[in-house]
Amino acid sequence: MSRITGGGTIVHEGAIREHTLLSPAATAFGLSAAVTILFNTMLACIKDSYPPVFRAMASLTGHHWITQSLANLIVFVVLGVALLITGLRLDGNRLAAFVAVAAVVGGGGLALWTVLF
Amino acid sequence: MTDIILFAHPTFGVLGILSALWVFVEALNASDSNRTRIRRMALLVPLFMVLAWLLGGYWYVTHYGVDKAVILNGPWPFAHDVFMETKEHLFFVPAILALYLPIVAAANLAVNRGARTMVLVVTALIVVNGLVIEGAGAVINHGAKLALIQGRSK
Repeated sequence: MSRITGGGTIVHEGAIREHTLLSPAATAFGLSAAVTILFNTMLACIKDSYPPVFRAMASLTGHHWITQSLANLIVFVVLGVALLITGLRLDGNRLAAFVAVAAVVGGGGLALWTVLF
Repeated sequence: MTDIILFAHPTFGVLGILSALWVFVEALNASDSNRTRIRRMALLVPLFMVLAWLLGGYWYVTHYGVDKAVILNGPWPFAHDVFMETKEHLFFVPAILALYLPIVAAANLAVNRGARTMVLVVTALIVVNGLVIEGAGAVINHGAKLALIQGRSK
């Protein structure tokens, strides 16, 4: 579908949409990065508030932080590959907003959790 | 050797921040002429961040326990209770975003506005989070220093 702007320029809507879509890999791992950031905050809060989880994570690799590092990497890679297989493509502007919200909620949540609890 | 690791950790963190800032500025001016440079610089960000991750992680797991005890007995126990407790988990935010950056920066940012927005957001988040983490590191360092000064003056 095309339309003519006030300046007389012919604009192809399909082309505009195409030029804001991310590649399947950028979509999959962008979503995965946002989810991993939120997962990281959740895991940090859970292990701090529930000692059995902390002990299990510490015994798994010798240190809770190493387990948290590996868990984050596994979530990021596995979820990214799973989403990549679907071939999903999302608008970059919207996904960027989701990533930004995840980073603010994840980072701010960590800081609040540490200060308040 | 432990001192070298201790200083290499924030150094690679700063290099990661500077590389992300470089990519941010290049993405603001994305064109065909800087496309290759954007891709190359986007690869440096995860490289520096992973080095900061490994070196900081090694030091934290093997040596930080002693510092933690010193800080908690000093005048700034919050340097550990608040700043280190936040920093050790907040670090994963820029680290994961750094791993993602080369994937989205592979697009032609001069043409794809969505990819360009994503690169700008991801690099800005890496820079802001990175600076917060560097600042937290300085507070932790000062907490240990104050505790040692106090211990010596007793």
